[in-house]
Amino acid sequence: MLLRRIYQFLLIYALGLAGLLAVKYLAGLSDYVIPGFGALWRTGGEVTGRYAGDVLDTLGVAVVGQVVSVLLALVIGILGRQTTWFGSFIKVAAYNVQAYPIVAIAPIIFILLGDGFLSRLIIAAMICYFPLLLAVVGIMSEPVTDIEHFYRQTGRMRWQLEVKIRAFENLSKLTTVVSGSATLAMAGTIVAEFIAAGAGIGYSIRIALYQSDLAKILVALFMIGITLSVYQGMLERAGQMVKQVWAR
Amino acid sequence: MGRHGRTAIFFFGAIVLFFFLGGSAGAGLKITYRLKWLINMSTVGDILADGMGFFKQAGLDVEIKAGGPERDAIRELELGYADFGAASADQVILASAKGAPVVVVAQLFQANPLQWIYFKDAVRLDSPSDLKGKRIGVTFGKNDEIIMRTLLARAGITEDQVALESVRLDYTPFYKRQVDLWPVYANTQAVEIGRRLTQAGERIGFFDPGDYGVRFVANSVVTSQRLLAENPELVRRFITALMQGWRAALDPANTETAISQVRRYDPDTAVDLLRAQLEATRRLIRPEGGAPVGRIDLPAWEQTEQIMLACGQIAKPVKVAARLRSMVGE
Repeated sequence: MLLRRIYQFLLIYALGLAGLLAVKYLAGLSDYVIPGFGALWRTGGEVTGRYAGDVLDTLGVAVVGQVVSVLLALVIGILGRQTTWFGSFIKVAAYNVQAYPIVAIAPIIFILLGDGFLSRLIIAAMICYFPLLLAVVGIMSEPVTDIEHFYRQTGRMRWQLEVKIRAFENLSKLTTVVSGSATLAMAGTIVAEFIAAGAGIGYSIRIALYQSDLAKILVALFMIGITLSVYQGMLERAGQMVKQVWAR
Repeated sequence: MGRHGRTAIFFFGAIVLFFFLGGSAGAGLKITYRLKWLINMSTVGDILADGMGFFKQAGLDVEIKAGGPERDAIRELELGYADFGAASADQVILASAKGAPVVVVAQLFQANPLQWIYFKDAVRLDSPSDLKGKRIGVTFGKNDEIIMRTLLARAGITEDQVALESVRLDYTPFYKRQVDLWPVYANTQAVEIGRRLTQAGERIGFFDPGDYGVRFVANSVVTSQRLLAENPELVRRFITALMQGWRAALDPANTETAISQVRRYDPDTAVDLLRAQLEATRRLIRPEGGAPVGRIDLPAWEQTEQIMLACGQIAKPVKVAARLRSMVGE
């Protein structure tokens, strides 16, 4: 699965790059608009090491942001699963709050908290959290009637058991949601870095943009893609292991 | 086809012809002009060329498009999205080094507006060597970083003797005095922040790289080599009309017109502030020694290229002089 993720990414990246280079050579564009293969290779040699460090820095923030989001989404999702006033309030609040574009909120966070780790973490968690919450609330609100009915009739149903049944029955969905949210967490961190932070691959992309250096941006995209593919592959593998352990 | 069909086609054709002729009657040649930044007092001459009808008199229908960090006029010229653009010298030199077919046809700013603001009670700056030990704000990747590194190198200050701090548009670190020097544009932010701090009783100073011999060219007007080769007359007409706009901006008689025109795009800046910004902009635009507005300062361009070469921004010389084709009638 991990290898499949990597070669799928390499294929997509190669296709995208080939498309760009085709446009460049067909339209006769300079290296300033679209860098040639030689310029890309040279730039790759110059910045890959530095960008690898930047991507790992970004990934570190994204992973912490994702863990925070998953935990928070599980807690709120479990509370929001109930058909009570509180459950309904949480669902409505989640829908409403996620409507705010993060680029509008991010500058306020940076002004209040500075351009360090915490601001990046909060923005990553915010971008990752709401879609996760909606998915978790959706899964946890759906009764598994056949199984739950037995426990209700025998009077043995407790909230912990209800959550466990629903989580187990929807484990594939939950794994996919958590794995997919890795992309969101990474994207969130990069957005935060691009807007105002002073570290990470998003910040490096911004500098490359100031320098009008598309070659650097393409190298950065490669580094982000490959890192994310590995991370998502690992998450999927972890999901499979959890499933196997639960199924015993 | 029946009689009714022919009549319908006749009327349809007549309507199309009416709108086609009506739409084109009086309209000039369509031109797109991409600015370097958002429309503010730094673009007053561009706005007046349009607002006072100079483009129209030249038979041009110019669409002025605001710029921004994600906009690049030189790329748009090559892709055919713009006919003219405003770009700084470092952009032109970088693009030339990568083979972009760009030419400079006029130089708007005769002095670079980039300066560093500081609190006089905390910092004393009599020469670049006083920068040693200071916390200096720079936008990594932009020309203020290159200029500051040049100043430091000339003063013999190594990187470990100063702290270069990454800055954005939020001035809080400067106000909190976490950073000693903060980059500002002399004709826009410097006027606004300077006034606010002075009113609050602070004593502020400005560190101008130009005072220490660093002449790094700022905004210029660029077009593509193809347009200049195929239609030099069009380029001349555009530049003539544009320079009329900039000359009008320099004329004190047009102060109120200039302010009202810029306010159409920048309604949030107070009129008295715009007036002060206009005065500061005039000082940057007016060439020395009676030279025409928009003249290209060749030595300054060559120095800019040398600075970029020394800082490793370009790997080899681009012979920037070959990219300069003044159209301002020197």
